Amino acid sequence: MDREYSMTYPTAAVLMAIRHGHRYGFDVMDATGLPDGTVYPILRRLERRGVLTAAWEDEAKAHREQRPARRYYRLTAKGQATADEALARFPALRRIFVAPDRGADPRPA
Amino acid sequence: MTKGPGSWLVDAASLLVPSGRRDQWRREWEAELAWAWQRHARQGESGLGARLRLTVRAASCVTDAIHERREGMTMTGMWNDVRFALRGLLRNPGFTAIAVLTLALGIGANTAVFTLVDGVLLSPLPFPESDRLVSISHLGRDGQDKLPVSTGLYLLYREQVKSMEGIALHQGAGLNLALDENDPIRVDGQFVTPSFFDVLEVQPALGRAFTGEDARPTGTPPTTVILSEGLWRRAFGADPAVIGRSFVMSGTNRTVVGVMPAGFGYPTRATQFYLPLAIDPATAPIAGFSADGIARLGPGATPESLGKELTGLIARLPEFYPGNGQVTFLASVGLAVTVSDLKESIVGDVTRALWILLGTVAFVLLIACANVANLFLVRAEGRHRELALRAAVGASRAAVIRPFVAETGVLALLGGALGVAVAAAAVRVATALAPSDIPRLDEVAIDPRVLGFTAAVTLLAAALFGMLPVIRYGRADLSSQLKEGGERGGTGRHRVRHALVIGQVALALVLLVGSGLMLRSFVALRSVDPGFDPEGVLTARIVIPNGEISDNLASAEFFRQLITRLEAQPGVEGAGAVRCVPLSGLCGLGDVTVEDHPRGDDEMPIMAAQTSAEFGYFEAMGIDVIEGRGFERGDGADGTPAVVVSESFAKRWWPNGSALGRRIGGGGPDQWLEIVGVVADVHQEGLDVPAQDLVYFPAVLGANGQFFGSRTMDVVVRVAGDPTSFLPVLRREVQALQPRIPISNPRTMTEVFATSTARTSFTMVMLATAAGTALILGLVGIYGVISYVVSQRTREIGVRMALGASAPAVRGMVVRQGAVLAGVGVVLGLIASAWLSRVMGSLLFGVSARDPITYGGVAAALALVAVLASWLPARRAAGVDPAIALRNE
Repeated sequence: MDREYSMTYPTAAVLMAIRHGHRYGFDVMDATGLPDGTVYPILRRLERRGVLTAAWEDEAKAHREQRPARRYYRLTAKGQATADEALARFPALRRIFVAPDRGADPRPA
Repeated sequence: MTKGPGSWLVDAASLLVPSGRRDQWRREWEAELAWAWQRHARQGESGLGARLRLTVRAASCVTDAIHERREGMTMTGMWNDVRFALRGLLRNPGFTAIAVLTLALGIGANTAVFTLVDGVLLSPLPFPESDRLVSISHLGRDGQDKLPVSTGLYLLYREQVKSMEGIALHQGAGLNLALDENDPIRVDGQFVTPSFFDVLEVQPALGRAFTGEDARPTGTPPTTVILSEGLWRRAFGADPAVIGRSFVMSGTNRTVVGVMPAGFGYPTRATQFYLPLAIDPATAPIAGFSADGIARLGPGATPESLGKELTGLIARLPEFYPGNGQVTFLASVGLAVTVSDLKESIVGDVTRALWILLGTVAFVLLIACANVANLFLVRAEGRHRELALRAAVGASRAAVIRPFVAETGVLALLGGALGVAVAAAAVRVATALAPSDIPRLDEVAIDPRVLGFTAAVTLLAAALFGMLPVIRYGRADLSSQLKEGGERGGTGRHRVRHALVIGQVALALVLLVGSGLMLRSFVALRSVDPGFDPEGVLTARIVIPNGEISDNLASAEFFRQLITRLEAQPGVEGAGAVRCVPLSGLCGLGDVTVEDHPRGDDEMPIMAAQTSAEFGYFEAMGIDVIEGRGFERGDGADGTPAVVVSESFAKRWWPNGSALGRRIGGGGPDQWLEIVGVVADVHQEGLDVPAQDLVYFPAVLGANGQFFGSRTMDVVVRVAGDPTSFLPVLRREVQALQPRIPISNPRTMTEVFATSTARTSFTMVMLATAAGTALILGLVGIYGVISYVVSQRTREIGVRMALGASAPAVRGMVVRQGAVLAGVGVVLGLIASAWLSRVMGSLLFGVSARDPITYGGVAAALALVAVLASWLPARRAAGVDPAIALRNE
């Protein structure tokens, strides 16, 4: 696969967080414990390179909860492969992530 | 819907995000913040601590925004800038439309006029190495008379001059083509020396050029002809087998020996055929200036060096022709030779008008740029916060000005593209309107050179209107400057804007003065008394070739019979014939022998314009007979030896007595014609050229049974009602007399009159169009600036009104501001006009370039409309409700 970016620890952490269901910017910040200012730039870069894809959550649902619709990220096929590679490089990451609290973090339909 | 704390940070940082992604970006951050705040609230953490934590987290959006910005710029660079600029412009359709249209108008006008300038003045003549082609002509009587070349001098120059490769003569010719017996046509062409095609370095596409044999003097009309491609196509069906075949043209059997390539034509592309010009060295006159001369310079020669060589030859004329009377005559009129670049001699007098026109539209472009620059400044100020933020987070100067540059580029590109379309339409209109005597008009086209010019003009325009924001925001101390500007409202900005308005008014005034002067010239020209009455007069040229009627008296009799027949037609008030009608140019200029004013050998001969007329002419043309009578039936060398002179000729030679009964030489020795009438002066060359001394010889001259008459005459008919409706009758009567003789160039004298004012009216219309555009753009500028100032001062105006200022006082204050700007602009414009209008001198007629009426009128009118333009915003200002104005602040 192409290596258009360096697989750093923060990148690997963001990828693993998303694979484990943390799909929103602030969730990823919380799950990875990375400095707030670094997460979004990584998300954007991965999105631009086709590792991640982003979509807007269902408007009606957000409306019922009286908040604006959020933008969620998920791995593409290329992203799955990249995440595997990340895990191979930083095996310790496997232990950090647990599935998010389903009640507080509704998965998009 | 709740917003999380720190969303103001998102609002602010979003300005950094490229505008194309900004909305999505902001939505994402706001949603995250709202969601997080909701969760905090649900967990009962809505205190200051939670609020602070979330705000700190929100602050990370600034790094995200900066990354976004950098990514957008580095990834696809300029293309992204352009895309964002396009989107920004589309979101502001009003601004974009006005800016693009204004630019298109300015760029289009410049492109259109440059197309004319390029086609007529700049592009080389369509001949190989055309910069080596020169025109040769002569001047007599210290430059008073412009003379072409005589065949005698042509032979001398051809023999003696070293610094030219070749010299040729050409002379107007006409042929009556009767390929279809019932529909003879008259075609115009040229007699040319065989060297003609070598000098121009163009050879026939079919057949051959003329040889010395074709031009051998035989005393009979030439029997070979070369056709233009157009005539070959039109009259001979583009038949290649035409070469070598003979046709009757003007009564003589002539063999077609060649066909010129398509597009070739000299002196104009309308030239339809070429006949060999035969010169007999034994009889070629030295002083009979009858043909135009062109030459090709030899290597290293210049028009000046050739001129010097020819001048040397003229000084040595007595050596070449000892004892020749014509040489003495030439010396007495101080003959001088002029060699000029051929292109210059062709386009000569339209040069100045076209350059002035180009200068004029350049002014329009400047005004247009000032308007767009103004709009741009207002728009840039609307983005103050965004710029301040960008500067605050350390955006480089380049990063700050890039969006401006991109917007400038996009606007200029759109304006330039639309401008080319505007130009294409304008060129079509202008060439249709342009007087037919503007040379090379048929060569005018929008070509790659023109498009190159348009690109350059567009670039220049972009630099002009895009420069101000770049200068303003491209400085090193951007952030401090923005802070100041933001706080104090920026008096500097107003100053720039005011300067732009003043400049616009001044430029508009210069253009209005220019078109005002042209208008006054046109009016003056129209009010010149031409000396005849053009209403209801039809004229057409008839040429009788030797081949059709060989006897001279018989050909004169043809005209006399025609006049008699025409007079008998119903509705005809008068009929006559003359060698060339007024306002169509001189048809002869030469020395005149006056019996009681004999000239010695060392005296200047008496020079006068000369023409020939048949009976009925003065009545038909409406030329007043001041003394005596006009020509009558029976006048002429074959009857009563009568001659008629113009008033100025009579006054010059017999200032205290009557000219009647005096005698003028009739050509032969001891042959005198008696002056039987003095008629009013007519303008022969043009309304702007003073009427010359004119002698009307009878149509038939000669003596002792040897008569010669003019075989080319303009028949003149005055009818009641529309003269053009008489044309079929004229044609019928000519055919009835001699079916193979066509009539050519039928025109009403009203048309001839209009043609004579055509250049002035064309220049006037073009300048007026430019000035009108400038005026509208200038007014839009004033209106825009005053409106903007009013909107900025709403609060101040509210305070004034709350303190008791009346509505009229507020209106007055605003209008005064507009009036001051306009006033300064008008004063500067007047100064510039006085300086610039000098270049118009030669285009003007009957009005000084500093005509106080024009200057005063234009200044007053411009000031008035400028005040009106500020009246609208003033009315709005006076309608401000102080309570609302103050509350809004």
